[in-house]
This record gives sequence, structure tokens and C-alpha cells, in this order.
Amino acid sequence: MARTLKYLLSGILGVLLLAPIALLLLQWIGDDGSLSFLNGKTLSLIGHSIAYSSIIALVATLIGAVCAFLLTQFHIRFKSFYTFVLLLPILISPYIFAVAWKDIFIAVGGEKVMDKSILELIFIHSLLFFPLAMVIIMSALSRISASLEESACMITSYPRAVFKIILPLIQPSIGLSFVLILIFSLSEFSVPAYLGINTFTTEIFTQFSAFYNTKLALSQSILMLSFSLMLMLSEVKILSDAPFFTVDMKGNRTRIHTLDKGKKWVYGFLNTFVFLALFLPLSALVYQSVFAQETFFIRAFDLIAPALVNSVILAFFGACAIVLIGLWSAWLKERGRYSLPNTILLVMFIVPSIVFGIAAIHFYNTPIGNFIYGSMLILIIGYVAHFGFIASRIIANGYKQLPPSLEEAALLMGISPLKCFRKVTFALLSPSLFAAFVLSFVLCIGELGMTIMLYPAGMELAGVKIYTIAANAPQALTDTMILINLGTVLFFIGFFAFGGKILFKRGAHE
Amino acid sequence: MSSITLEHIHHSYKNNLTLRDFSYSFGKQNRVCIIGPSGCGKTSLLRLIAGLEIPQEGKVLIDGALVTENKNLIVPPHKRGIGFIFQDLALWPHMSVYENIAFGLHEQETNQIDQTVKRSLDFFGISDAIHKYPHQLSGGQKQMVAIARTLVLEPKVLLMDEPMANIDVQVKEQILIHLKTLQHLYGFTLLYVTHDHREAFEIGEEIVVMREGKIMAHGTKEEILKTKDSFTQSFIKI
Repeated sequence: MARTLKYLLSGILGVLLLAPIALLLLQWIGDDGSLSFLNGKTLSLIGHSIAYSSIIALVATLIGAVCAFLLTQFHIRFKSFYTFVLLLPILISPYIFAVAWKDIFIAVGGEKVMDKSILELIFIHSLLFFPLAMVIIMSALSRISASLEESACMITSYPRAVFKIILPLIQPSIGLSFVLILIFSLSEFSVPAYLGINTFTTEIFTQFSAFYNTKLALSQSILMLSFSLMLMLSEVKILSDAPFFTVDMKGNRTRIHTLDKGKKWVYGFLNTFVFLALFLPLSALVYQSVFAQETFFIRAFDLIAPALVNSVILAFFGACAIVLIGLWSAWLKERGRYSLPNTILLVMFIVPSIVFGIAAIHFYNTPIGNFIYGSMLILIIGYVAHFGFIASRIIANGYKQLPPSLEEAALLMGISPLKCFRKVTFALLSPSLFAAFVLSFVLCIGELGMTIMLYPAGMELAGVKIYTIAANAPQALTDTMILINLGTVLFFIGFFAFGGKILFKRGAHE
Repeated sequence: MSSITLEHIHHSYKNNLTLRDFSYSFGKQNRVCIIGPSGCGKTSLLRLIAGLEIPQEGKVLIDGALVTENKNLIVPPHKRGIGFIFQDLALWPHMSVYENIAFGLHEQETNQIDQTVKRSLDFFGISDAIHKYPHQLSGGQKQMVAIARTLVLEPKVLLMDEPMANIDVQVKEQILIHLKTLQHLYGFTLLYVTHDHREAFEIGEEIVVMREGKIMAHGTKEEILKTKDSFTQSFIKI
């Protein structure tokens, strides 16, 4: 039974997720002009894109590291609030911020300032991705035993202890943050597309969707895929366990310092990023929607409501599929010592969404695969490919905290494995499963890069609707649609957070 | 021999009062063992002396100099002349044995650091481990490195917080003998926390028995064995 489950999941993931990528590679190898894309223009574009993304990764990692350090090492009032608010941008779709910041840039500097400026892309992406660095580094800091720092403080000053002990210990996490942000920024589609900046990702999309130059798009996808996988290999050891994707971030006992002299600087720093990363863009959207010459609430609602309902339904099914696959993969890795599904999900996590989009179209747009290609199934597969690893790791890290003896004790009492899973494992894993579901749901609603390539004909989805309408609609209409979309996402985040609190509080008492 | 005085200390950890109106003066003897059940405030006491925690009320004095008063840390931990050996030993995993020991000697010349580290490793008989990392050492070797790292700085006071908790009996006995020799050699005052009264009787010239943040009995091994306090009697199973 366990053996069947082991190979069944590898087979499912292999056929549904890896096979499209393999086919893409085979098509590229079989293509006569497979290296024709290596011309000056393409190389210059990817060179520039890597350069922007490196700057973004550097800035975002630096901001994230400082935020993580302050929130983990010091006694900060309203620490949970700061942590939640600073992490929120990662749960909101990047194009929402692109629209909001476009409003702000135009309000500050007029239309001219929006002249395809790379600085704007760097600025927005840095604000979008620093929470990722923050969560990774916070997790690393919380895993450093207080005694390691305290033993240094017995010998030397606190700043030297930070530079010689703490920084070297979190250095792998800093490196991982840099690499992940570099990959995600390089493959992020919506912000450069909305700002009209030509990056390597938007170029692939343009070649594929606008010029129908499939061969070139395919070759460029291979180049991007190779680059992403190459970067991932450097961090594969720490990434495959991804301890930062966990519900319980308590880790070891950490040393908390009281703020004395630098109090106003620390709060000033945190407040600046709360303002820049969340409140300013949200305020800009509200201002544009409410105080525009013409208000578009009814029109925007009519336009977006059906698409939003579809997006919520799709995200629900997507999240269910992701959690199911994640649980299966986590169970195999933690209890079956079989990590192939986890490795497949890790590889797919790194594959840029636009590359998987192209691969999936090639693979599923056939008479046999048409029932997938023509339905929301293709998007669900895409979401599993892109977010399955996150769910798998959240659940696996939950598993790690459950001693196997809990299940073994039940099995020795003659309880069937299924009942043992239902009554013991599932009950204890439920906070991790719930967190994996909520995160997957929110990420699915916000995904655009793959959705825009794979959404079935006749199906309206919120992100795609806003993106396509934004080019010709008044800015206030776009802003209002974004606001309604964002309101829905925030409603669900709040709903799940509140629901989870009640659910698991009650569970704890029981 | 150094003296450590605590006056009217009130201290709580996570809203639990660990020390209540605690006053005591250490340093009448060279080797003091503090024993008591889990949560009685032994570790908090050491951390307060080291300056790793600050009391809500009370004073800490080392050799007559005020180092902590109420909520104010007057002398930071690294300037108190105190060595601390943690329960988990806290060897820095990214540094070799050499780097762990040399870390505190940064104000010395490189040649001098080399000599000090090598001399110390020779003394402990672990010279061959100089380039190894903590995860490559045995439990006993880790103990030796932790002690060597602290003693190269020649502290006046050495605080040890249940350092033998995860060590087998034979190695523990060897280390305790070694520790006594070191104490004679360096002349530091040793404050040794344990919950094992046999270990305390083995090493301590003075024994302090604690319960719920207060001292229940103190004195030499013989005095403790004759105590009338019922808690102490039951704790050490007289």
C-alpha cells in the first residue's frame, strides 16, 4: 500500500508537471535553429534583466535582513503587528502594487516619470520581495540558540558578537534569500509588463503571445529555465528542507535586547517600510478610486464581480489540490523517507511561471490533453507546480514536530492506519494543513504570469481581467477594480486568520 | 578568590518569580555548588551574576564593585571578568576549535594568540583537535574546549550551568578531577549549578540548596548532611 502510494505520487507529478518541461527541452533540442536566440539583442536583454534582478535581490535582502534582525533581536512594541503588516505584501499580487505605484509616480512626477524607468521596477520589486528575505532570515535567527550569542557576549561587545557569531550563522539564509529573490524577480511578469518595461520575461511573453514566434519563445524559456535551475543548485541543500516555511516559528530560545538609545531609529525604520510597502500604495488606490473626477464603483463591480467569483472558486480548488499533493509529498518524505516528490516540487517551484505556461500549452494542447487544456484543470496543475513545494514544506515541517511514537502508539493498540491518520496525525497536523491551504489560496488568487497564459477560453479571472482592461480603461476604473480585488483578498486573509484562531483555540482546549 | 554579593534580588522570568528577596554572599569558599530542583532559580542566579539578565530589584556586587543595580546594567557581561559555561556548551558551530578559543583573545598579537591557544589545548590534551569543528568532537572534547575557551581569558569567577548534563559517568568523573586541578592552578571562584547532589558533594567546598527562589540550606558537605531542613533532607535523600 505504502509502496503504491510512493510511486503513484511520483508518477502523477512526473506526468503532469515534469513531462511538459521535458517535452519543452526535447522540442528545443530537436529544433534546428536551437541556438539562434543567442544573438546580441537577447543576450543584452537577459544581461540587463539579471543585472536589475541582482540589484533588486541585494536591496530586498538587505531590507529584509534588517527588519528580521530588529524584529527577532529586540523588544519591539506591537511586534506581531509589524511582522504581519511587513509580510503582507508577499501575499498580495504584484500587479496590485504596480498599479498603485504607477498612480503615485504619476502624482509625484507626472506622466514623464513613467517613461519605462528601470528604477521604478527596482523600487517596486524591492518592496515586494523584501518580506521573503525577512521571513527566511527571521526563521534562521529564531533557530540560533541564545547561548551561542550569550557566550560571545561574555567575552566581547554586542556589535562584535553580531558580526562574528550571528551573521556567519545566518549567512546561508541570507544567501538563499538573495538567490530566491533574484530568480523570482527575474521571472516576475506583471510589474514590468504593467510599467511597460521590457525584461527577459516580458520578452518571452511578447514573442509567444503577440508575435507567435514560438521557436524563439521556446529557446528563450530554456535559457531562463537553465539560469534559474543553475542558481537553485547552489542553494539546494538548504532549500530542500526550507525550514522557513513553517507554522511554528518559535525555534530556539532567542536573546531579546531592550532598545535604549536607538529606539527612534528602529521604530523609524520599521514604520518607513510599513508605510512604503503597504499603507502608501493602498492609500493611493483608495484615493484614486474615491476622489477621482468620476467614480466607477458600480461599473468596476459589474466588470470584476463575475471574474472575482471565478478566481475565488479556482483558488479554492487550486488550494485543495495543492494541500492534497503537499500532504502526500510531506508524508512520504517525513515518514516514508522518500523524497523524490519533494524534489520534483522543488524543481517546479523554481521553474519560472511563464516557462511552465509555455511548456503546459505545448504539452496539453493536444487531442488527448484537451480536456485539461480547455478547462480550469490546466490552471490547477499550474498552481500545483508553482506553489506545491511551499505547501509540502509547511506540512512536512509540521510533521517533523510530531514524534513518530504518537502514531506508533496508536498502531500498536490495533488502530487501523487510516483511523490512526484521521484521529492522530490529521488532528495534530491540522494547523499546518490549514496554513498551507490559506497560503495556497491567497497565492493562487494573486498569480498572474501563468494564469494569463493558461486561462481557458471563455473563463474570466480577476487578475487577467484587470490586466487586459488596464491598457484602455481610465486609471480610476482600474484602481477601483484593483481595490475590489484587494478587498476580497484581504477579506479572505482576515476570515481565515479569524477562523483559524477560533478553530485551533477550541482544538487546544479540547 | 573573588566575592560575589547579591542583595535583595527580585527577579522573574516569563512572569514567574524565580528569585524573591534573595541575598547571599559567595566567595567564602573557592568552589560553590548550587543545587535544587528544576525551576528553583539556579540558572537565573548565574545569569544575573553574569549580567545576562537584569533583576527587577536588588544589587549585584563583584569584589565590592556594583555591577547591577535594580534594572540597570552598570558593567556589561564581557567586562565583569566572569567566565560562563552553558549547559549546551555553546560552542560556535561555524568556528574551529582554534577559532573558538582564540575569539576572546582578539586584543592580543597573533603570535601570542597562537601560543595561548596551543598551550591551552596541550594542557587539556586535545591538541590534535585544533582544526576540528564542534560537530567533529566527542562529548568530553567539547567540554574541554568550552572550559579552555573560558579559561584562556583568565576569569576571576567561573560560572557553570549544569555542564555535565549530557556526559557519561566516566568522562564526567575525569572532568570533575580536571576542574579541581584547574581551580587550584588559576585560583578562580567556581559557582557550579547542578541538580545532582552527588556531583555537588564531589566538587563543592560549599553547597547551597535552593527551592522556589530561596536558599533552604548552605554550608559544607558535612553541614548539609546534618541539616534539619526537611526539604534539603528529602532532596538529597538523607
